[in-house]
Amino acid sequence: MIYDEELETMPREALEALQLKRLQNTVERVYNLVPFYKNKFDEISVKPEDIKTLDDLKRLPFTLKEDLRDNYPFGLFTIPLEQVVRLHASSGTTGKPTVVGYSKRDIELWSNLMARSFAAAGVTRGDIIQNAYGYGLFTGGLGAHYGGEKLGATVIPISGGNTQKQIMIMQDFGSTVFTATPSYALYLAESAHDMCVTQDKIKLKVGILGAEPWTEEMREAIEEKLGIDAIDIYGLSEIMGPGVAIECKEAKHGLHIWEDAFIPEIVDPDTGEVLKDGEEGELVITTITKDALPLIRYRTHDITHIIKEPCICGRTHKRIARIKGRSDDMLIIRGVNIFPSQIESLLIDIEGIEPHYQLIVDRVNNLDVLEVKVEVSEKVFSDEIRKLQSLQKKIEKDIKDLYGINVKVTLSEPKSLTRFEGKAKRVIDKRKM
Amino acid sequence: MKRIRQISVFIENRPGRLLEVLNLLGSSSINIKALSLADSSDFGIARLIVKGTDEAVALLKSNNFTLSVTNTIACVVEDKPGSLAQILKLLADNEINIEYMYGFTSPIENKAVMILKVSDIDKAQKLLSDNKIEMLSQEEMREI
Repeated sequence: MIYDEELETMPREALEALQLKRLQNTVERVYNLVPFYKNKFDEISVKPEDIKTLDDLKRLPFTLKEDLRDNYPFGLFTIPLEQVVRLHASSGTTGKPTVVGYSKRDIELWSNLMARSFAAAGVTRGDIIQNAYGYGLFTGGLGAHYGGEKLGATVIPISGGNTQKQIMIMQDFGSTVFTATPSYALYLAESAHDMCVTQDKIKLKVGILGAEPWTEEMREAIEEKLGIDAIDIYGLSEIMGPGVAIECKEAKHGLHIWEDAFIPEIVDPDTGEVLKDGEEGELVITTITKDALPLIRYRTHDITHIIKEPCICGRTHKRIARIKGRSDDMLIIRGVNIFPSQIESLLIDIEGIEPHYQLIVDRVNNLDVLEVKVEVSEKVFSDEIRKLQSLQKKIEKDIKDLYGINVKVTLSEPKSLTRFEGKAKRVIDKRKM
Repeated sequence: MKRIRQISVFIENRPGRLLEVLNLLGSSSINIKALSLADSSDFGIARLIVKGTDEAVALLKSNNFTLSVTNTIACVVEDKPGSLAQILKLLADNEINIEYMYGFTSPIENKAVMILKVSDIDKAQKLLSDNKIEMLSQEEMREI
């Protein structure tokens, strides 16, 4: 079903005219309201009035996650805090999170785009959405929640985890839609199987899955085990949250990015040069309807390409291919974003721990597990097992408290962690994508 | 004071790692008088009493092992029922905690030797000698 016929099927020419108007408006606003943007534009002598066509977008400087950090927490907001009705946060590259703010209008807009996304996945009024995205600072839970309500569906705000309860609720409430990370969907499918909950005992028809990279093989496995359509959804908190792009049920091939709100570009991750449609590179997004935190040419670090062919569903908005990976070292563990540098800054604060560490990511029973190997120095070494174990527990707890992720800490002998040309290999990702 | 210096070596749980420690000591003709292993699921601690502690420490350190040297007590225990219990009772009654201990039979006739790491070594030592419990010095340990 198409939620907003007029906007979603708008002829390209009209859509691009709308984009230009909104882009000009956004650029003018950030230039006048945010010193960060004014300085950056002035540095390269670009004025808002220089943006005469969509092609002129590439004259503007990129915005990086580090810029959000440098202006932590609210420095890039265009509106005073009393007009901000919601704050979310995601992992920063170091200890401090990346903060995003929403005006009342932003929440309305997000709800609309998310409702549109649900509809594209085949969800309608009358559906029961079991929302297993985490509620909290993470945008997933509330983003999907508001969109589901906007659409007129029934939302169960169950949040993540607690698999047995998820399966019980799924049967008893007759959930028809499940929103989660794909790895959790697969885990839930297998747990249901172990609990002898067969497909005829549940009414699930569609899974809206995202927040981590996945594969066609995973899609097939989830669809077969749960008897559903598994739909890929994309979003990131800096840009808005879930609902930036989604696959349509008709094609299940590429994710429509809502171009009346976002302008996508694909750039060479090394040179920043804009690539042609179809060429693979890093996705860069400019928001053109956001109030509180508009972002100009934000580097997502997600690797994809644009599918330019028109879609069979009738929507005119461009599609991005399934995300292939990252152009930086960010890890996505069970939907939680984590940078090795975050772990490093935490370890440095622990007396006696060498700043030599290694992160080993693996997928065990369809769930991501992160092992943090740290080298034991003589300063922390004790000849009593329990003291070393409490050190392990302390690091595990610190990581859990700060980044909300369960890890297993393993103590290693000094100089045992592999080093390459003086630079340690920090991450070993054993997950097969 | 009769104290025994024990070397504790951090060892990752992987096949052959302890062997590497032993080979290293063996190749330098350092004799191991007593050895105990403590382990958790992913690492272990080898506790060693050797003939030539300083030499062993230098050797292990130069091979990147993490280690510490701990003072322990070596008690000589009669090889008969109840004799160790008597020592433990003494310590318990005086609220001295045993962090760990391990034993080995010694060439001394009808005697075993227990290595003890206690919460208060001075207090424990005084208590044991007041109660006529025989303890070994580092030199005596070397000779047995």
